[in-house]
Amino acid sequence: MADLAQTPPRSLSRAIPLGAVPVWSGIALLLFLALPLIRTGRRFLPLDYMLHPLSLGAGLHWAPAVAAFAVIALYLRPAPRPAQARRRADMAAVILSLGFVGLWAALFSAGTPFGWGAMGASLALCIAAGSALSESNRVRGDAFTGAGILLTLLFVTLFITYPLVMVIRSAVWIEGVLTLDQFRATFSSSLFLFVDNRFTEVNEARMVAYWATAGGAVALAWGLWSSRAAALWRRAWMVPLWVGAGLIAGWAVGIMIWGRGALPSTLLVAVIVAPAATMLGFALALLGQRTNSRAVRGILGVASVLPFITPPFVIGFSMIFLLGRRGLLSHDILGISPFANPLYGAPGVILAQVLGLAPVAYLIIRGSLNSLNPALEEAAQTLGASRWRVFKDVTWPLVRPGIAASLLLASIESIADFGTPLVLGGDRNFLATEVFLALTGRYSQSEASVYGVVLLFLVVLVFIASRWMLGVKGFATVTGKPASGAFLALPRSLEWILLSLAGLWFAFILSLYGVIVYGSVVELWGINNTLTFRHYIEFWNTGWPVVWYTMKLSVASAIPAMMVGGLIAYLVTRHRFWGRSYLEFGSLLSFATPGTVMGLAYILAFNDGTLLMTSTSAIIVLALVFRNMPVAIRASMSGLAQIDRSLEEASATLKAGSGTTLVRVLSPLLLYPLLAGLIFAFVSAMTAVSQVIFLVSAGNNLATVMLLARVERGQLGVAAAMATVLIVMLLALIVLLLVASRYLDARNRGKGLSI
Amino acid sequence: MNRITELQPAAVDLGRVTKRFGAGAPAVDDVSLQIAPGELVTLLGPSGCGKTTTLRMIAGLEDPTEGRITIGEDEVTHLPAEKRDVTMVFQSYALFPHMNVRANVGYGLKVARTPRAELTDRVEEALALVGLEAFAERPVDALSGGQQQRVALARALVMKPRVILFDEPLSNLDAKLRHHVRAEIRALQKRLGLTAVYVTHDQEEALAISDRVVVMNSGRIEQQGTPRDLYARPVSHFVADFIGSANIVPGEYDGSDIVLGDARIPHTQEITQGPVGVMIRPEAVRPAAQGLAGKVVSISFLGPVNQVDFDTPAGRVTGNLPDDAMGGLRPGAKVALSFAPRGLHLLPPRAV
Repeated sequence: MADLAQTPPRSLSRAIPLGAVPVWSGIALLLFLALPLIRTGRRFLPLDYMLHPLSLGAGLHWAPAVAAFAVIALYLRPAPRPAQARRRADMAAVILSLGFVGLWAALFSAGTPFGWGAMGASLALCIAAGSALSESNRVRGDAFTGAGILLTLLFVTLFITYPLVMVIRSAVWIEGVLTLDQFRATFSSSLFLFVDNRFTEVNEARMVAYWATAGGAVALAWGLWSSRAAALWRRAWMVPLWVGAGLIAGWAVGIMIWGRGALPSTLLVAVIVAPAATMLGFALALLGQRTNSRAVRGILGVASVLPFITPPFVIGFSMIFLLGRRGLLSHDILGISPFANPLYGAPGVILAQVLGLAPVAYLIIRGSLNSLNPALEEAAQTLGASRWRVFKDVTWPLVRPGIAASLLLASIESIADFGTPLVLGGDRNFLATEVFLALTGRYSQSEASVYGVVLLFLVVLVFIASRWMLGVKGFATVTGKPASGAFLALPRSLEWILLSLAGLWFAFILSLYGVIVYGSVVELWGINNTLTFRHYIEFWNTGWPVVWYTMKLSVASAIPAMMVGGLIAYLVTRHRFWGRSYLEFGSLLSFATPGTVMGLAYILAFNDGTLLMTSTSAIIVLALVFRNMPVAIRASMSGLAQIDRSLEEASATLKAGSGTTLVRVLSPLLLYPLLAGLIFAFVSAMTAVSQVIFLVSAGNNLATVMLLARVERGQLGVAAAMATVLIVMLLALIVLLLVASRYLDARNRGKGLSI
Repeated sequence: MNRITELQPAAVDLGRVTKRFGAGAPAVDDVSLQIAPGELVTLLGPSGCGKTTTLRMIAGLEDPTEGRITIGEDEVTHLPAEKRDVTMVFQSYALFPHMNVRANVGYGLKVARTPRAELTDRVEEALALVGLEAFAERPVDALSGGQQQRVALARALVMKPRVILFDEPLSNLDAKLRHHVRAEIRALQKRLGLTAVYVTHDQEEALAISDRVVVMNSGRIEQQGTPRDLYARPVSHFVADFIGSANIVPGEYDGSDIVLGDARIPHTQEITQGPVGVMIRPEAVRPAAQGLAGKVVSISFLGPVNQVDFDTPAGRVTGNLPDDAMGGLRPGAKVALSFAPRGLHLLPPRAV
């Protein structure tokens, strides 16, 4: 006891007499003076002393040094009273912000790219200012919280909001004039709606007119019939309303079917894919939850992982092998002529997307089904409801939120999909591919931006629609305790239908993946089926260095994605502060924005001037970090939700700062979700295409982009070899993760968590 | 008329029912049980004893592996739940969260295609029975736990079931409410003449509510009888220990006296002479002029009584003594203990 009483309390803040504010101001000053403030070209590396602030003469760019110096001086005088300390911290925050603003004002007015010094000093200034805000109680929490909030706000603004604003700006701000000309030009272009194709025998415009007329006629009949009991004056305005709606609906359907432009094609595919993938996912989820067969459950488990480790267009590309003009099934077995093959265009894209998105729907709906209380179904059963009736009255209404979530995600993914339409689109245009083609083919930033804005608008529309569909809220199951009990078995006939559906689905998936492997070992697909390892040798020579580089970048992006995501999740769940909903909204935005639009946004935001970063690996890493961050946020949030706050409070009463608590207490408990998030971020970085396709350059090629280029050039053998290697590698990684998590679980259960 | 008060309760007969889940010991092992119309029978036991599985087999939610179940005149052994006139109140209440109170209560009638007018009447009647007329249009998650419980009860009653089943219906309520609701359930059951099977692991609840208690252990029926019967004359250590609290000390029985340490206590009971387990209820323990020698180890005040631990030659004995029976006992005091005959019962010796 005596020993304990005599030992002085050990903590960082006591060991160093200074607070976080002057220390970080000092670091800012140091970084400012030690590192080159600017660059001359794209490259970050050469530490040329001519670019140091000392060599750049006097000017506004000295602002951070002055600010840091002033703050340190301010903190040299002790502040005996709390009120004084708070006023001092307020002043420090203002001075530091002025330093930050001054530096960037100087850089922007000069137009020179920022260097290490500017970046380092800015980050240190942010941390110092955040600490000052917490010291002055403007932010509730300690210095770590204040700095974390300021940094994450800066990141989200700089790497999500600002680039997207640039897309909108570039669409309406052309050569210094605010104009809607580009919108007008794009909307009237045949690429956008494309109604009449003079090379086909059908007159598409007339077909659309027929559809509109038919829609109007049906609506007229329906309006007359449904209002037959209403008063005449009501019919007088209701019937024309119906007819108008019918005309528009018929016209829309007609355009979607006959117009081959970007908007109707994208909408047609999304409108079919979202419900189809959701229904397939729902069927598989029902089967997976209620079948007694372990084999079926195992197969579903494996198959639901496949889309995550498969680059998004690979399904489309193996469909060419299987169902294309020279496809194994379509040409060799069914004997369909290469000229009459119906795959290219809407059918192929729809099929590929349904296959790719059904597992995603499966996972969402499975979660929703698993949270159902089985006693609800039993209660309905004891009240006399048959199995079908239970399904209709209880199961279905309660999984509707899951269905809506799946519809939302599937529509967004379908609208955003870039790789599949590029491979299988045929004579149809799609919005996501038009962004790419406008920029790289027609060299028009403003046209690409218009397509980007249309895409963003559609995504927002889908979000609003899903909100509306979900109604007021989801259903929290009313219960004190989780109830036990088994889920109702499926009606025998339904189980057979679902089993055969799942069997068909799985056989198709299996043959698609099998065909890729097969395609990688034959000389030339469909022409010369001699077995060869030529493609693997070529891959080893040309492809492997790129794959290796991609892996390095993916690791480099996954770790910060996890860290920033974890930090945002922690701040958003455990603290209340100004800008909290902005952080949440920003991360949602980066998740929902189609990849090509994000890629375009990064090009527009970081292609010149002070923020120049294109053609470096840094921009690819940044794009991947902020693309995959929302997943990390989600993973950490659900992990955090399971950790009782009293743990942190206990840590705080033991005088640990929130940074220490996050690292020493929360991170070990979150180990598994963090690891899963990390692997997921790595895997999605490895398979990313759309968000990085604009950002790669000669020295910075990525595996998936290279793969896509090979598919487009028709080098299918090498592409297949490359795809096989990628898929096998990522699959092995996932399996390793599963085994490791089993092992960790078992160990933790046995011994208790060792921290 | 179609009033709930005119329902037709049925007898339930379980004949040598066994339920196995996979390999291993059966969850319910050769259980036979007869329940008379209008009787409330409680299945009591620790978790995993098979009581809930037995209940679920009566409901039709589990299929018996062996044996026969009849309800009234009809054999229902393998009939699914929806074809039996049996309703159930679930532990989690299992109210449909997407329906309001009225729709929840009316669901079973709607499924049965009851004419609208009759449906409305019967839902009103059921809600009146549980005192929730004013809550008909509320969503169920806007109700308190006790109210949700009563909605679940109304939903089960409205079907005029021939048998009603309760699966630990009170375990989600706090202690005060639990006493109140169990009295209500009992009163309603008596008033409507319901045949009811009630599952609980709470022995006090079982004693308070039942006509008959069935104590189950490891899938088998350990003993059945009226609450008084079970309390006064348990047949095994398990029942003696599970119902109420009991001291069980080893002793000898010679046909007329129990030999307990150095004391001899007159007692008559049909039981094999020789070594026995002597069950002594704490409330039967009193200090006396002569009897079993004991030494006070500790005293805790519990309100109505004092709980006193004695060390005796036969082992540790706990007594519940009201203040006026304490006679100035202090820890360390040496006393003789006598036992009221009503709280004394002999058990077969514990098998080792």
